[in-house]
Amino acid sequence: MSQRDRALGRRLLFPLLVLLALVQGYPIAFAAYISFHNYQLTALDQVRWVGLAQYQGLLDNPSYWTATRNTLVFVGGAVILELLLGLALALLLHWPVPGQNAFRAIILMPMFITPIAVGLMFRFLLNSQLGIIPALLRPLGLDVDWFGPRLALVSLILIDVWQWTPLMVLFLLAGLEALPTEPFEAARVDGASSLQILRHLTLPLLRPVILAAVLIRMLDAFRVFEYVYAITRGGPGERTETILFHIYRVGFLYFRLGEAAAMSFTLAAVILILVVILFYILRRQEAWA
Amino acid sequence: MTPLLRFRVAAFPAWRVWTRRHWGTGGRLLLLGISVFVVLFPFLWVLAASLKPPTEINRPTLWGFTPTGAIWAEVWLGSPFARYFLNSLLVGGITVGISLAVGTPAAYAFSRFRTGGTGLRFLILAAQMLPPALFIIPFFLMAYHTGLLDTVWAVAAAHLTFIAPLVTWFLIGFFEDVPWDLEEQAMVDGCTRWRAFLRVVLPAARPGLGAAGLFALIMSWNEMFYALMLAGGHSKTLPVAIAGYWTFRGVDLGKMSVAILSAVLPVLVVSFFVQRFLIRGLGGGALKG
Repeated sequence: MSQRDRALGRRLLFPLLVLLALVQGYPIAFAAYISFHNYQLTALDQVRWVGLAQYQGLLDNPSYWTATRNTLVFVGGAVILELLLGLALALLLHWPVPGQNAFRAIILMPMFITPIAVGLMFRFLLNSQLGIIPALLRPLGLDVDWFGPRLALVSLILIDVWQWTPLMVLFLLAGLEALPTEPFEAARVDGASSLQILRHLTLPLLRPVILAAVLIRMLDAFRVFEYVYAITRGGPGERTETILFHIYRVGFLYFRLGEAAAMSFTLAAVILILVVILFYILRRQEAWA
Repeated sequence: MTPLLRFRVAAFPAWRVWTRRHWGTGGRLLLLGISVFVVLFPFLWVLAASLKPPTEINRPTLWGFTPTGAIWAEVWLGSPFARYFLNSLLVGGITVGISLAVGTPAAYAFSRFRTGGTGLRFLILAAQMLPPALFIIPFFLMAYHTGLLDTVWAVAAAHLTFIAPLVTWFLIGFFEDVPWDLEEQAMVDGCTRWRAFLRVVLPAARPGLGAAGLFALIMSWNEMFYALMLAGGHSKTLPVAIAGYWTFRGVDLGKMSVAILSAVLPVLVVSFFVQRFLIRGLGGGALKG
């Protein structure tokens, strides 16, 4: 590569780096500053250094741990269900059936919709007085309170599954279509059953795609906010209080900005670890220079 | 052996193969049909609610009412909803315009010259994944201090945090798919590298650019967290407006349904053009689409 190409590369990259410094670099530095100070909008002349106090405060804050636990349950439950359902649907869609493309396009639809609309649609559908689903279940003797203390978090997980299983389907279908055909033909000739082929051939070959899809879904599920905001606002009690919703509550309803900033850094740390793993997987997929 | 018997012996295995294959197809179609029903039902339900007369809205029925367009007219003509629609378009337009302008040259520099190397590729991935909680507090304070609170500019600036890196990441794969020979040939014909980029590479990567732009537009259109915090007043975007129809102050199911469908239908139409480019884009060129 010539010297001139190298110089051109740097010039082409420059605008992006300036933009990222402005919209990411500066705000992150500002957030770090806020997390080390007692920063209050009502008393900007009394801002003072408090060190790690606001991070230490998180450790003894039961609400923070409740929100962390809820978020982990949400992420784990949603991603596992989406993977299993997504795998089943991808295998179904991979086989030629009449109207395949139409099925595929419709099944992918939910992932393109704004999550607040999804949240409100299901609040409507599952509402115990107005909703169709409880109305259909009642004659069967099932009186389910979908957003009551026992089921609220589960309901939010199921809503996430409705919206984001399509993303899994998208990834797994692409993975299935990129698989080589020879090993499958060989396995058939050797008399392997469909289940054996799935377990010993399809799944191992799909592993990188599965890992990438799972990580991308996890990264997204960690910032769940809209369903909580649309339906439960963290309740009943703190049953559905998630990390991002808790940050919103502390920062924008209680105006404790420093504490909220400290929490957002702990969330960012978890996210960054996941990004590193995702990067490593993608990198191995295609030997990037 | 009589001819009839011979026919039966020969036909029996064929019949078994036929039932096995077609029962399999039938079973698959049934499962796919159920999935499509699960995906489409919430939309049908909301569509019905948007067409019901006010006296019918609280009854969980899907048909058996006289449809009316009164609520559609009320939302679109009798409320500032059209204004919110326009706000969403403005935010999306500003965000995507800047992101493409900055991200396209950067993605090209990366795919051709590896400018910045592995570190830069990681930066671009991490930048789009960082949680909004990290940026919202500084953005809120910056908007507050500059008087930009409740303007589309504040929301567009916040959307740039994840959409500019997303567009860049998306485009890397598409530039890598443009063969080197194309621009080498143009350079032999006397173009500089930069002119070859403009005249030859950009047109060749046009489908990818279109898909990246449309996908980024969908992401901005659907985003609620930043929009809610930075512009809750007259410059609110559609997701924030939708959320406003069901709060602790009360609920207007008919209007909410109209708002949801108005926000969702354009996205669903656009999504059909984006679907087949998504894997290549989301994997940053590492996954085959």
